[in-house]
Amino acid sequence: MENLMQYIPLLIPVIALEFILMVTALVHVLRHPQYRFGNRVFWVIVVLFVQIIGPVVYFVAGRGEQ
Amino acid sequence: MNRFLAFTKKEWMEQIRTFKTLIVFLILLLFGLTSPLLAKLTPEMLKLFPIEGLNLAIPEPTWMDAYAQFFKNMTQMGVIVLLLVFNGLLSQELSKGTLINMLSKGLPRSTVILSKFTAASILWTLSYAVSALANYGYAVFLFGNPFPPHLFFACLSLWLLGELIIALLLFATTLVSGNYGGLLLTGGVLCLLLLISILPQSAPFNPITLGSGNMGLLTGDTALGDMASACIVTVVLIVLCLAGAILRFRKKQL
Repeated sequence: MENLMQYIPLLIPVIALEFILMVTALVHVLRHPQYRFGNRVFWVIVVLFVQIIGPVVYFVAGRGEQ
Repeated sequence: MNRFLAFTKKEWMEQIRTFKTLIVFLILLLFGLTSPLLAKLTPEMLKLFPIEGLNLAIPEPTWMDAYAQFFKNMTQMGVIVLLLVFNGLLSQELSKGTLINMLSKGLPRSTVILSKFTAASILWTLSYAVSALANYGYAVFLFGNPFPPHLFFACLSLWLLGELIIALLLFATTLVSGNYGGLLLTGGVLCLLLLISILPQSAPFNPITLGSGNMGLLTGDTALGDMASACIVTVVLIVLCLAGAILRFRKKQL
């Protein structure tokens, strides 16, 4: 385990990037109630629990037109 | 020239507002950061969870694994991200009819194609460069060996493949109509090239070599000449795709 612990500082940027992606998508989901398909609960779950792919799928396919 | 800059700027703003910039930049950067980490940590994690009765002899990871991971991720997921994000580059504006206004006011159609290509290229180039640098930094930190042979050329060729995909996507959108026609056609062409690449003789002329021979450059398995000629073929193809896109777009009924 100690072996792995020494890599934690290297993982921080990765986690930060994933977090940025997730939060941006989450804010967008909550602010824009129109989706191409699915509803708000569905997209919140997708964005929060499907790492990386979730927010990308939301922005590419789920985001509604303004 | 002025119109070109204005339209490119508009494209750039659109990319930011539709979150394309964010997605491409972050995803590619994530690939760059995680590839060396995965190469380093996967054996360690496997050691943490020993499987009963299974004796895994895992070789110590080297700097090569870091770059192998990077090129593998980029050629697979990277290409998919590119295709998905830039799919609507032209088709969305065509289906919504937002271009008609500007074209009727005298914006040349060739400017539209070139601007879109430029804006997409800038985003791809910037994201890819940052990602490759991040990957390089992590790989050197974790594995040492700061001067792998031909690393720059290996990265450059993959970048060129990305440019070809953007140009191909634009050309394909002018050929077929619909929101996903261009995507399907581009995917089809890439699959065809992939099939051709089974023949080893095709390597010096096949753009796919730019995405499959990168590791070979580092290990010495791919001849530099093969890669260079594939690069030249790809540049010619990019120019042809753009010229074809402009010609087709001029005649296209909106």
